[in-house]
Amino acid sequence: MRIRPFEYLAASSLEEAVELLSRSGSKARLLAGGTDLVPAMKKGQEQPEKIIGLGAIPGLEGVRLSQGGLSIGALSRLADLAINPLLLQHAPALARAVGLIGSWQIRGVATIGGNICHASPAADSAGPLLALEAEVKALGPQGRRTIPLTEFFTGPGQTCLAGDELVESLELPLAQGRPAQTYLKLMRKKAVDLALVGVAVCLEMDSESQSLSKVALALGGVAATPIRVPEAELLLLGKSPAKALSLASEASRLAANGCRPITDVRASAAYRKQMVKVFVRRGLTQVLNQLSGQAQAGGAG
Amino acid sequence: MKLPLNLKVNGRAYALEIESHRTLTEILRDKLGLLGTKEGCGTGKCGACTVILNGRPVNSCLLLAVQAEGAEITTIEGLAIDGQPDPLQQAFVNLGAVQCGFCTPGMILTAKALLDSQPNPGPEQINQALSGNLCRCTGYNKITEAVLACATGEKETGDA
Repeated sequence: MRIRPFEYLAASSLEEAVELLSRSGSKARLLAGGTDLVPAMKKGQEQPEKIIGLGAIPGLEGVRLSQGGLSIGALSRLADLAINPLLLQHAPALARAVGLIGSWQIRGVATIGGNICHASPAADSAGPLLALEAEVKALGPQGRRTIPLTEFFTGPGQTCLAGDELVESLELPLAQGRPAQTYLKLMRKKAVDLALVGVAVCLEMDSESQSLSKVALALGGVAATPIRVPEAELLLLGKSPAKALSLASEASRLAANGCRPITDVRASAAYRKQMVKVFVRRGLTQVLNQLSGQAQAGGAG
Repeated sequence: MKLPLNLKVNGRAYALEIESHRTLTEILRDKLGLLGTKEGCGTGKCGACTVILNGRPVNSCLLLAVQAEGAEITTIEGLAIDGQPDPLQQAFVNLGAVQCGFCTPGMILTAKALLDSQPNPGPEQINQALSGNLCRCTGYNKITEAVLACATGEKETGDA
C-alpha cells in the first residue's frame, strides 16, 4: 500500500532531535536507516504524522575506543560494523552477527541503533551485545542516561525507552586478553532470513590459571526478549577449556531448558528448543577448541 | 509535504521538489523517467529495485527519497558508456544470464558493486553478495558464471 503523507523534519543535532521528539509525542517516529520503519509504513502498521530524520546528525556513526571500552555510534551502518577493525579485534561475535542480518542491500542502510530499538526477540545484534555486557547510552529531555542492555528489552518489540528518548550509542567493556567468541544463526535458508534461533558464545580465559574467567551465552529468538542463560554459564565458569569441552553437552541442555520459545509460522517451539541445544554445543565446541589450541601453544594462538 | 531534493543520478545533477512520502524507486521511475529500476516486492526482499548509492548497493524501495539528499546514485541506465555496454552487461548477455530480465538491472548493479570492491571473487562470495537479489527464471547458475567470467575477463584484459 502507499505510504501515507507525513511531515518530515531533518534534525541537525541530537539535542534538536530530542526536542522535536518530545514536542511531537506519539505521532512521531525517528528515521535512522528506515529498513524497519518504511516496510511497516507500507503495510499500514506505522502511520506517523511526523518523521524526524537522524541521517544528517554528525558523529553518530563509527566505532571508537573510549575509556577502556568500545563506543559504537547508534547510526553505524551494519555493513560497516561487519568489517570494522575494532569490532573484529574486540567483539568478533558482534561483527559476525550484524554481517548476517538481511542482505547486502539492507546492511548498507540499516543501523545498529535501529536494530536494537526495533527490539525483535530474534535481533541478531542483541545476543552478542548481551553476552558482551553492553550498555545503551540514551538521550532525553532530562539529559543522558546509561541503561544496561539487560534492562533494555522489555518484550517483543518493546524497550524501556521513554517516548521522548533516543539511543545515542552502545558502550562495550573491552575483553581482558584475547576474545574467543562466535555467533551462530539458524535460518530457513542460507541467507536473508530472520533468526529462528541465534546463539552468541563469548568466553575469556585467564592466561595465568588457564581457566575460563568469563562465560557468556546469549540466545535470540527463543523468548520474549533476547536472553542470557546463567545456569549454563555457571557450569563452565572457572573450568579449563578441556574440562569445559567435556561439559559442553550438559551446558547445552541447561541452555535449552532456560529458553521459552514459541511456535510460529517459521518454526515450532520444540524445534527451537532442540536447535538451542545443538547450536550452543556447536558454538561452545568451536570456541573452546580455539582456546585449547591457544592454551597448548602457550597462549600464542 | 513538499521538500527539495538535490542528488546526482548517473553523473547528472538534479534539483527536484518531491513529496516527503515518496520512495527513491518512485522518484527514479516517475520523476526522472529511469524505468530500468524495477519495483518487485516493494518490501526490500527481492532486490529488483537495487541501485548503487554512494558506492553501496541499496534497495531503493525502502529508501524515502529524502534519504538520498546529496547522494550519488547509479542506476542500470548509468552503466553503458556512449552506448557501449559495461563488460558485466555483455557477460550477462553472452552467457544466457538474462531471461525475462526483471531481476537483471538489480542483479547487475549488485554484481558491479561487488566487482568494484572485490575484483576477483569466487563463486561462493558472488552468491553471498547476490543473496539479496532473487531470480525466478534462470536458476542463478548462469548469473554466477557471468559475474565470474567478467571478473576473469577483466583480469585477462588487464582492466582494473
